[in-house]
Amino acid sequence: MISVRGLEKRYGSVTAVDGVSFDVEAGEVFGLVGPNGAGKTSTLKMLCGLVDPSAGTIEVNGFDAGDPEMRRALGFLPEESPLYDEMSPRSYLRFFADLYDVDRAAATERIDAALDRLDLDARDRPVGDFSKGMKRKVAIARSLVNDPDVLVYDEPASGLDPITTNTVVEFTRELADDGKTVVFSAHDLHHVESVCDRVAIMREGELAATGTLADIQAEYGRVEYRVFTDVPVADADPAGDRYETVVESMDDVERVRETTREAGGRVIDIRTRESTLEDVFLDVAGA
Amino acid sequence: MNPRSVLRIARWETTRSAGDVDRRTAVAFVVVLLVIAALVPALVTYGPTPGEGIYRVGVDDDDDYRGVVAAEATLAAVDRAPSGVRTGDADLLVGDGGFVWADSAKGRASLAALRSATVAFNDRRMAREDNQSAAFPVVVTLTYADQSVSVTGQQTGDDAGADAGDQAGDTGDQTGDGTSDGTDGGTDDGTAGTEQPDSERDDDGSEAVSDLPSAPEGGLGGLLGDQQTGTPSSLSPPFPLRSLILAFAFLLPLNVVIQAYGSSVLAERINRRGEPLLVAPVSPADIVAGKTLPYLAGALALIAGIAVLVGAGPLAVAAVAPLAALFLAATFLGAMLARSYKELTFVTVTISVTLTAYAFVPAVFAEVHPIASISPLTVVVDSITGEGTTAGAFVLSTVPPALAATVMFGLGTGVYREEDMFTQRPIPAKLLDALAAPLDSRLRVGLWTALFMPFVFVTELFAVAVLFVAPVELSVPLLLGTVALVEEIAKSLHVYAGFERGRFPRTLRTSLVLGALSGAGFFLGEKLLLLTQLVGLPGIEVAQFAFSPSVVGLPPGVLLVAPLVLHVVTAGISAVGAARGRLEYVLAVLLAVLVHVAYNVAVVVGVA
Repeated sequence: MISVRGLEKRYGSVTAVDGVSFDVEAGEVFGLVGPNGAGKTSTLKMLCGLVDPSAGTIEVNGFDAGDPEMRRALGFLPEESPLYDEMSPRSYLRFFADLYDVDRAAATERIDAALDRLDLDARDRPVGDFSKGMKRKVAIARSLVNDPDVLVYDEPASGLDPITTNTVVEFTRELADDGKTVVFSAHDLHHVESVCDRVAIMREGELAATGTLADIQAEYGRVEYRVFTDVPVADADPAGDRYETVVESMDDVERVRETTREAGGRVIDIRTRESTLEDVFLDVAGA
Repeated sequence: MNPRSVLRIARWETTRSAGDVDRRTAVAFVVVLLVIAALVPALVTYGPTPGEGIYRVGVDDDDDYRGVVAAEATLAAVDRAPSGVRTGDADLLVGDGGFVWADSAKGRASLAALRSATVAFNDRRMAREDNQSAAFPVVVTLTYADQSVSVTGQQTGDDAGADAGDQAGDTGDQTGDGTSDGTDGGTDDGTAGTEQPDSERDDDGSEAVSDLPSAPEGGLGGLLGDQQTGTPSSLSPPFPLRSLILAFAFLLPLNVVIQAYGSSVLAERINRRGEPLLVAPVSPADIVAGKTLPYLAGALALIAGIAVLVGAGPLAVAAVAPLAALFLAATFLGAMLARSYKELTFVTVTISVTLTAYAFVPAVFAEVHPIASISPLTVVVDSITGEGTTAGAFVLSTVPPALAATVMFGLGTGVYREEDMFTQRPIPAKLLDALAAPLDSRLRVGLWTALFMPFVFVTELFAVAVLFVAPVELSVPLLLGTVALVEEIAKSLHVYAGFERGRFPRTLRTSLVLGALSGAGFFLGEKLLLLTQLVGLPGIEVAQFAFSPSVVGLPPGVLLVAPLVLHVVTAGISAVGAARGRLEYVLAVLLAVLVHVAYNVAVVVGVA
């Protein structure tokens, strides 16, 4: 469905995206995560033909990025919700449906369906009167008026309250369930974790890791063993009336146990802790 | 470009823009427009005449000239005290001994005004005669003269004098020779001029005006000759003031339209509102055309409405249409470069002032001088006054603005993309982006140099319009320098932009190749200047230096090769500097200008 190869984007002497390659299968939800300035937005904009790559190729639905046919098959949601305050959602969405050659009846049906699912009732009021969350819903509805196969969403829940965020997250999952291919970027790792089939972590314009969450956690995550003893041993930190030593393998646990026994003490407790996605993100993205 | 997409965007733009204005504001705007539309023609037609009663003429109540003075708004009859001119109570005295006028610009102008009024007075009287053949016998005067300003002025001044003399007073001296025998008429004390008529006073005691001194400011002689003073009414043929004011009405709505249009374009860039449109399956050209169409259509509708109100024909609308497009194109480019509404205001004001001056200043000479053919408003004036417009004059006044508008829209569309629209870069940097955007290959450098010709042409025409009244000793050097500077910038600025934006490697070889292509492109585009031949503009001395300095006095082989060599060499010099940086570019352009000026001077000397 989407194939990206050797993608680069340079702005003067600054390289925003550097040799990024990935594939996204049909019906998959693919998340791009990374700190600010990692190159996520530039990658998404190149993906939907908004920005020309400095190098590399992008293919969406069999068409090059920017090709008019590719644009017809794609819905884009920018990070902000740039709307026209004086227009109502209905007239705004109809205009975009027109641009995509959607006939009037189908457009009306599609617009109503999208706004129903997003729970937006005010359809004939000027958008300028709307809250940020309501505007976001209109922007999401716009990305759907052409019934696209591919959706590219840049920070879809950015700056929204928890309730609206939840609505948007659930809606994104529903779109994937409907068979849409979704590529989006996010800062909120819980959002990513709850929606994405696969994730790519970007760092300084490059892909630092790609795969399912399980793959990434397996490859980049780790298990910590916290060994509690009643006597101080090397590298142990006081923890109340006990001493805590953190190690990363069972061999190390055995070594701590042996050292403690030689010191005349004993191991009181051993606890394990697996890395969360956030830990992995912090490690891999270098944040 | 997809017409369906363009129309959809145009319809949307209309709907959206309408939503921008609340109903009360819209109603108020329409009311104001209607009031202006109703008042302007009425004011021009029935309102006070500019300069009403400014010339005080001392004339007795029973004198035949009393009726002439009463019929002309700029003349006011006062008591004919013999000392009236000396005491300043009158500008001109009409008496038994002829005319006495103040030895001042106003005194001479009053004499010219009286003469014109007399001609008009007589014409009206003769028009009431039953025998029109006797009233208006056909007199043909053939005068062969160069199309130079001074010759034209002399000719019209003489003719006017003849006409005035032929039909003055009740009897009218129909055999008056119309010659002029004096212009100064100063007395020894230098306070007043007097003129004794050569012809006899008529039987009824009225004076024949055939011996009125030919006022020095009559015709272009006053405007361009030794006398630099004059008034509109002293020009012969008369200064078409009313028509000009009406023509100016065509420019007013354009200034309103560009405000709305510029705001709309900038609104797309504020808060990234235009971003979703860029992802839709429409091209930037579709978007630009669609957004522009309602404003262009609105401007044309207003122009057509004004044409109906002021009595101008379809040709006037056709002439102003490219000007409207140029207003919009310049605004579009400005709005694409501006970073805020504050900057946009500066841009639109600059555009208004510059283009209004370009359209209005040459039109001041409508019906007087070929320089007026530069301006589309001259076609409007001709349409209102019923004068014909030649095909050449129409082409000259409309094609350059139309081409300039096309190029400006092209440049603006080149930066109608995400990377340029939403960044807050300085205007010069974005201008370089716009110039560099189309340079996909080296050949395009030559192509775009040729496309810049309308700007060069418009600028040089404007320079000629501004400088042609100045003494040749001043205007020619200034014009040679201006022409060289404008042309060298046109040949090199985009080359510099190309280097700055990394379109070309900064090597000597590339610089020379780009310079050669740019020079060749300019040489070919320069042929556009042949348009000036259509209206005989090179007949103006100063224009000859601007547009065809090499036409005279050089062998045919040199004629063909010399300009090409010049443009290639100077463009090469600028390109070498452009490849090395900004300061080097500026210095290189200055060097190229010097070479260019030296070439022009050599040609001028050769011509001389």
